[in-house]
Amino acid sequence: MKSIARRNHKYWKYLFWLGPILFVAGLTAGLVSNNWEPVPLGLIIAGVVVTGLWLIFSANQNRWWSRRSTQAGTNALIATLSVLALLGLINFLAVRYPVRRDFTEAQLFTLAPQSQQLVRNLSQPVNVWIFDRNQDQQDRELLENYRRQNPQFSFEYVDPQVQRGLAEKFGVKQFGEVYLEAGQQRRLVQVVNNEQRLSEVRLTNSIQQVISDRTAKVYFLQGHGELPVTAEQGGLSQALTALGERNYTTEPLNLIQQSKIPQDATMIVVASPKQALFPPEVKALTDYLNSGGSLLLMIDPNTNPGLDSLLKSWGVALDNRIVIDPAGASIGFGPAVPVVDTYGEHPITQDFNNGISFYSEARSIELSEVAGVQATPLLITNPQTWAESNLQGEQLQFNPETDVQGPLTIGAALSRQVNNQESQEARLVVFGDSNFAVDGLFEQQLNGDVFLNSVGWLSKQDEETLSIRPREPRNRRINLAAQQANVLGLTALLLIPLIGFASAVFLWWRRR
Amino acid sequence: MRLIWTNIVAIYRKELQSYFASPLAYAIAGIFWLLSGFFFVIILLGPQGYISLAAQADLQAQQIGVPAPPIDVAYEFLRAFLGIMSSLALFVLPILSMGLYAEERKRGTLELLATSPVTNWAVAVGKLLGVLTFFIAMILPLLAYQVIALSAANPPVPPAVPLLGHLGLILLAASVLSLGMFISSLTDSTLLAAVLTFALILFLWVIDTVARAFSGSMGEALGHLSLLRHFNNLVQGIFDTGSIVVFASYIFLGIFLTAQSIDALRFQRS
Repeated sequence: MKSIARRNHKYWKYLFWLGPILFVAGLTAGLVSNNWEPVPLGLIIAGVVVTGLWLIFSANQNRWWSRRSTQAGTNALIATLSVLALLGLINFLAVRYPVRRDFTEAQLFTLAPQSQQLVRNLSQPVNVWIFDRNQDQQDRELLENYRRQNPQFSFEYVDPQVQRGLAEKFGVKQFGEVYLEAGQQRRLVQVVNNEQRLSEVRLTNSIQQVISDRTAKVYFLQGHGELPVTAEQGGLSQALTALGERNYTTEPLNLIQQSKIPQDATMIVVASPKQALFPPEVKALTDYLNSGGSLLLMIDPNTNPGLDSLLKSWGVALDNRIVIDPAGASIGFGPAVPVVDTYGEHPITQDFNNGISFYSEARSIELSEVAGVQATPLLITNPQTWAESNLQGEQLQFNPETDVQGPLTIGAALSRQVNNQESQEARLVVFGDSNFAVDGLFEQQLNGDVFLNSVGWLSKQDEETLSIRPREPRNRRINLAAQQANVLGLTALLLIPLIGFASAVFLWWRRR
Repeated sequence: MRLIWTNIVAIYRKELQSYFASPLAYAIAGIFWLLSGFFFVIILLGPQGYISLAAQADLQAQQIGVPAPPIDVAYEFLRAFLGIMSSLALFVLPILSMGLYAEERKRGTLELLATSPVTNWAVAVGKLLGVLTFFIAMILPLLAYQVIALSAANPPVPPAVPLLGHLGLILLAASVLSLGMFISSLTDSTLLAAVLTFALILFLWVIDTVARAFSGSMGEALGHLSLLRHFNNLVQGIFDTGSIVVFASYIFLGIFLTAQSIDALRFQRS
């Protein structure tokens, strides 16, 4: 009987190996699925229970607890555990109440005072989402510097290929997009990659804009056959949705019913009027501009909006000829679609590099100098384009007598100081086309960015941005003479290692 | 108290003597000097080194006529070089610490040490100080090269960041050696001690990467264990009490566990 029991024990013993195996299986399952209930938890508990049974079992087997070495071992175990707990506590306190000093000359790892103050005063949670697979050390350090200021600030790295739902919620299109989320609001901060790392300037300004309650109000003029703001053929609904996501509110405006521009208007958009505006309306717009307002004009060819007097005071003349682009024809857009990859130096277009945008049936714009007005051509067509006067002809051909050879300007940004108030600026953006912003074309290439950046500049959000200078390292060189460098190199590569090896050989030889 | 101190010093001197009379120690130092010298030349003086890269950037800027973005050659070099030094140390330090106790076990002198009136603590501290001193002696020539190179910097380099970087290197070495000493006290095979130490240090080195998979306080706690993160902090010129406390904890833990393990030995034998 006893021998059977013992034999059983012999095999029973191996069952206890299940303890650690179950424990590890539970741990792995929990870590992989990131979900701890109920299966992983059950496995872990089962593992712990089986291991506990083994302890009791083996204690009965060989009565180890009464030995002296066990008592010493228990003491050591308790001492070790308490030391670990103590060290953990000390480290916890050290992390909680850190003393941190940046000893770099340019304070490379310290946030600008503006950023510090802004983040310290955050009253609502602000989260930064970085949709990237790689976590750059530099970016992380910057984000941790923000987090150190205020626990309301947090950040999270997300792999957009793994957490698709989250990526879709934010509309992530590429790796490296950084989004800021505060309450209901989300906005794109920038796209990080190897050339461009996360910038404190952008991040702080985005936080500032997200938490400020002020929303810019954009009025769309109606009543003269302008592009509809609803979702229909040739409407602007995509543009309006994009504006909504960027914290703008939009509203139609009819100047026949009310003769003055509303007080809360940040800017007015006049999108492709088919009939001429009435003189009182033009006057209202002119007055609005003169008091430091902003106006976005999108005027198609073969229409006369009656804005000549307003435009003349800014030195802008609308050419009625249509821009023809042989390159547009060759990539399948048709000859009347100029493709633009050259942009003027302006905040609106500064990030465009050589990206393309295209404009179906556009008219060119002529700029002339007017005192006090700062004019910048935004969209410049390529030199092969020309402005065609005769569309009825059999063949579209450049005719030097009636046509104008490119490059032509089809979009321009203008600004002027307002006389009576020094700090205020009137801003005007004119496009010789409206099709680039309509539904369907808005999302193509850079078309939407042209529109949104123009609205951004016109709404003067850039004025609100905090002026933070990016941290730059000290410019420093090491000027070693060639001879110095040689001596240094030889010492490092030959002399010192040789001394080491020679000493080793000498000692070894003497010991023999 | 005074007696303990005298004991520590006695052990320390004995350890130092054994290092400076050992051909193996000089051979290790020689290899370390050769490798570090090689990296020093590559990083600073080589054709892809910081000096020539900065010169190229200057030349290019002159041709285009746009001022180049500022480069702090001394700072970049120091960061890169100390980074390489820490990786080299990763290989060298387990070799230095492997024999601390394993050798005594093998020779059978550990019983003498364990039962001697000198406390296990004092022995561990003395041994650690000895091996740390040897490591510092190993990096002295490299310090000399750096002083020569940095003294040619224009404008001159303020000493705070280089000093902090080297403090980081020494603290890192002390932590690794202390943990290595504990592992060495567990086995009588020096090879096994070196391999285990290397594995442990590698784990503590890369745990930062593991920690990033977790979010929240779990990830933070794991990341805090990383040696690399705290070392980088110091090398970049950031003094953070959190980092110093982590290194101090590792050093203390190594000494404590060593003393415990020798204590256990005493009871096992009795």
